[in-house]
Amino acid sequence: VAPESVSSRALCFFSPCSSWLPQRVPLRGSHWQSSLLESRTSLPVRAQPKKKKKVDVKKEQAQKERMKKKLKKLEKAAPELIPIEDFITPLKYSESNRVRSLPPLSPEESERRVLLLKKWSVFKQKQAEAEKKTIQALVESQQEALQELRLESEELFQAAIRRDEGLFPFEREGPSYTPPLPGYDPPEGKCTDITKVYTQ
Amino acid sequence: GALLACRRSYRSRPTHGIGRFKYLLPKELPKKRKEKVQMKEISAGTEHQHGDINIQMTSYDLCLVEHFAQYVHRLCNSLSIRVNESYAMPTRTTEVLFLEERGSKMHLDAVLTTHQRVVQIRGLSSTFAPILLEIVQSNQPEGVHLLMKQHTEADFKSRLKSRPELEELLAEMS
Repeated sequence: VAPESVSSRALCFFSPCSSWLPQRVPLRGSHWQSSLLESRTSLPVRAQPKKKKKVDVKKEQAQKERMKKKLKKLEKAAPELIPIEDFITPLKYSESNRVRSLPPLSPEESERRVLLLKKWSVFKQKQAEAEKKTIQALVESQQEALQELRLESEELFQAAIRRDEGLFPFEREGPSYTPPLPGYDPPEGKCTDITKVYTQ
Repeated sequence: GALLACRRSYRSRPTHGIGRFKYLLPKELPKKRKEKVQMKEISAGTEHQHGDINIQMTSYDLCLVEHFAQYVHRLCNSLSIRVNESYAMPTRTTEVLFLEERGSKMHLDAVLTTHQRVVQIRGLSSTFAPILLEIVQSNQPEGVHLLMKQHTEADFKSRLKSRPELEELLAEMS
């Protein structure tokens, strides 16, 4: 508590108090702070709290404005995508001393490889064409079935054409090489997620 | 203004445009400004067409998942299904610890990385959807988990970096 404010408070206290509590004046003189604090609650005080309110309101307003400015600045910055570690080659792989020295190929070997590539491309082409044919066949049979349904009843046809809400979300695990072992007892342990958290 | 604009070579004289050289330089493209990452509109789809659908492929094996995503993308291209985006989700690293049979210490078994690729399609007709599902399932490689669901804003937000300061300020304000 600043000495000036204490003295001014004391002055405004003194004028009403001195008439009914004359013997307490020397006490007041010796213990400034504690007695003043006690009397503050009982006596009507006018000047100090109003000043406090103004200062508080101003401070609060200033704080709010500062926060709003901060918010605006942060909101202006566009959100960034999390960088994907898959696409960033680690530096240790870009060092130049990792060079593979391959033996030169004999012409028969290169010939064999080229012919193998051609056979593989023909095989894959046949596979892709077979897939396209299956898709076409499926679509055709579906269209035929829908046409027949339309001839049967218009209502059912309309219901069939509508999209299926229960189709999505659709989840399926990939096939595995071997089925799960029947009596397998896995060792106890735990998995912890240690993904790096990026903050903007 | 007037001083800069006056050109002393007259149009009739042979020396007109004597100082011109910019037409000889290669055309400079306007500087590309960094495009802000904005969420594209999510279409809800009509009665006969599904809206934006995300085909999410997850696996521990990077090459498999990458190649499968490429295959699905090319398949959609050939079937003239519009592909909005084809992106990768951030990689998740998991530490697998196992408890020794005799002992209480946890041993580090392996560090696994889970990769996820997403192909987003729009305008899939309701009659063709089961056929596409069938084809994609039959070509699903082992260990690749397939998930097809509607695209939502939350899915988009999960790709962005978290902003703790902004969230703190918003919490304080409200």
